[in-house]
Amino acid sequence: MRILSTIINLLVFTGIIYAQEDGFKQVQDISKTKTELVKLSENAKSIQSKFVQEKRLSFLSENIISKGEFFFKSPNQLRWEYSEPFSYIIVFNNKNIYIKDEEKISTFDTESNKMFSEINNMMIGTIQGNLFTDSDRFDVKYFENASQYLLELDPKLPEMKSMLKIIKIYIDKSDISVAKIKMIESSDDYTSIDFKDRKLNQTIDDDKFNLQ
Amino acid sequence: MMINLIFNKTFLEFIPPWRRGLGRSIIKFNTSPQSSLFKRWRILFLLIGIFILTSCSAPYKNLTKTELPNSEIKNIPYALPYSEKTLIYKTDINFYKNNISGLLIIKKTDENIYRIALTTQFGLKIFDFELNQGTLNVKYCIESLNKKVIINTFQDDFNLLLMQIIPEKIYSIEDSKQNQKIWQLKNGKLNFNYILNVESEKIENINISKRNSKKISVGLHEYKANIPGNISLEHHTIKLNMNLKLIQ
Repeated sequence: MRILSTIINLLVFTGIIYAQEDGFKQVQDISKTKTELVKLSENAKSIQSKFVQEKRLSFLSENIISKGEFFFKSPNQLRWEYSEPFSYIIVFNNKNIYIKDEEKISTFDTESNKMFSEINNMMIGTIQGNLFTDSDRFDVKYFENASQYLLELDPKLPEMKSMLKIIKIYIDKSDISVAKIKMIESSDDYTSIDFKDRKLNQTIDDDKFNLQ
Repeated sequence: MMINLIFNKTFLEFIPPWRRGLGRSIIKFNTSPQSSLFKRWRILFLLIGIFILTSCSAPYKNLTKTELPNSEIKNIPYALPYSEKTLIYKTDINFYKNNISGLLIIKKTDENIYRIALTTQFGLKIFDFELNQGTLNVKYCIESLNKKVIINTFQDDFNLLLMQIIPEKIYSIEDSKQNQKIWQLKNGKLNFNYILNVESEKIENINISKRNSKKISVGLHEYKANIPGNISLEHHTIKLNMNLKLIQ
């Protein structure tokens, strides 16, 4: 019995540790935090950053790593440029999507391609902070530690829920900008994207958002 | 064969369902009276048809065909199914007008057991399958692809690619003219052909054929170590093709 209760305690205890992740505690004053996070959209008129994407698949011992550069210009221009493991560029420019895959360039529009428009909305919504004010689509929990806010977004819509269990957004307190996004699937496989060397509000040439 | 279609509707039975549409459109224009001259022509065309039919039904007919014990499947010089390494292919799948692209991950987890997953560029999973002794189990699949017909098609494709067919008989065929050696795995009416280029000593083509028609063909090129760097898989009966490029 003693062993059993120890095991149960251990399971419960480790469960709690997992939920609180790296010393993150639930935010006490949520309205104050929300006011803080409004700065996200003010701070992010433009962002230029390197990124490292990690894909976790339970059946692999090592994560799959992709790397590249990321450009954003408010309100809706976005460029993801993968350089590893191969060159691939995707640009969202208002209603247009351009993809450069090796030397081939394809063009779509967001209205005809639901999946891409969803990705676009999610990425821009994350960076600008309006994703977590969207209470129709997400239940949001607020956590913090000394240096970061952690927002856990629980999708409400069934189509979204079937793909993602939870989206975690890590925001640096020092400059109120998104440092990391982690998208966890129902199987617990996940994709995390770390934004490194972030440069905020610097001029980005419009050519970056055109591929032709 | 199409010539016969014009004169003999019953020939439709010999046409695979996926090609019948074409036949019908030709028949529409030919409701001519059954004159004796016409009948004679009909016989002639029938004979020509049979000739064409037999000549393409057995492409390796005149070649020496040796039956091998079933255990010989292990000696086919095709390393892809046996790779212990995680294989990652940049992948484009075109299905009618739809295009899916991303990374295909193939991992052998045990003897005759594989995990096969496709993720988008952004990391989101499109599907995650387990191929276990030739049966494809769906661990995860986005709704739009999670249809029995599509899953069965993937099962056929990956069984062919990872040589997970359990053959009733195996033959080896030497085609010295084409500089090829063929391992033919027979299962029911289907022939699974693994074709070795004798010069490069690599399996460069794989196909499934039934009677005289190919159902799926695969080209394997730019080998790195013993693993194909480029794989292009094409279905002849539906508009589906896959292009894979080895990354890791």
